[in-house]
Amino acid sequence: MIPKLRIGLVLAALASTIGLHPSVHSQETEAKTLETGTFHGKVHSTSGRATIYQEQDGKLVLRLTSFKTSNGPDVHVILIAARDADDDANFLKNSTQRVELGKLKGNEGDQNYEIPSSTDLSKFQTVSIYCERFNANFGAAPLEKF
Amino acid sequence: MNAHLTSWVLRRKGTLVAVGLPILVAAWWAFRPEKLWINDRVSEPAPFASSADPRPLYTGRLEGKAHQTSGRATIYEAPDGRQYLRLTNFMTSNGPDVHVVLAQSDDKSLAQEIVQGQLDSIELGSLKGKQGDQNYDLTAAVDLRKYNAVVIYCERFRAIFGVARLEQF
Repeated sequence: MIPKLRIGLVLAALASTIGLHPSVHSQETEAKTLETGTFHGKVHSTSGRATIYQEQDGKLVLRLTSFKTSNGPDVHVILIAARDADDDANFLKNSTQRVELGKLKGNEGDQNYEIPSSTDLSKFQTVSIYCERFNANFGAAPLEKF
Repeated sequence: MNAHLTSWVLRRKGTLVAVGLPILVAAWWAFRPEKLWINDRVSEPAPFASSADPRPLYTGRLEGKAHQTSGRATIYEAPDGRQYLRLTNFMTSNGPDVHVVLAQSDDKSLAQEIVQGQLDSIELGSLKGKQGDQNYDLTAAVDLRKYNAVVIYCERFRAIFGVARLEQF
């Protein structure tokens, strides 16, 4: 009787250590924060934060928060292959590579933009609010690892 | 002279309108001056619904002072309202009696490597490790708009290892 009980106890202890651990990772629903940075205004005063999230399915999303820039014609959100966009004078002139994310949805407020999955974020390191028509950089946010 | 100009304008009215109107329309289209007064406000939700997860409030990059220090400092708020500081990708040099404190980013002491006067700071605890991710609880009463810098601080030698100036996330 006693040995049987002891074996039972040992088996129960084994089961609890091996198999019955609640999975910690199954609860993860949040998108991962990859990079973030704050806007500094160039041609027009621009402020707020740009953050790149990776959703669970791998999709990349740029989100602007506390965002504010001046309204203008034909304004786009782009990623550029540069560390920062300090000099608006030769901005995008010497064929700086860029990824188009779409027309600016609003000059104020929180907004999301999908990033093409093929984008190499180690290369495209800066978000720019860019006026196509006048080749003007309204503001830029250099991104850093979160 | 004036009468002469007026009669010239009157005679060429049709031409002036034909030339001037398209120019005005083109200028309006190019510059859209009315946008100076019109704001387009949007408010999209975050790409994920996660009210059950801790929310980042402030974040900043650590910059080395007396010793090389790097990484990111972020203040999170847990769903229960509790706030904590989290250091990620963190690295500093080993030292005796190193603490994590909050200070005011415009404090003159932070411009130096060794604090001369008194550093007005709030203690968060002894540094748990010189490398790696780590959390520090904040006491409930911290005013993060005032104490908006995270400092890795060696109390014994009054040396500032690194500073992260926090910005709103």
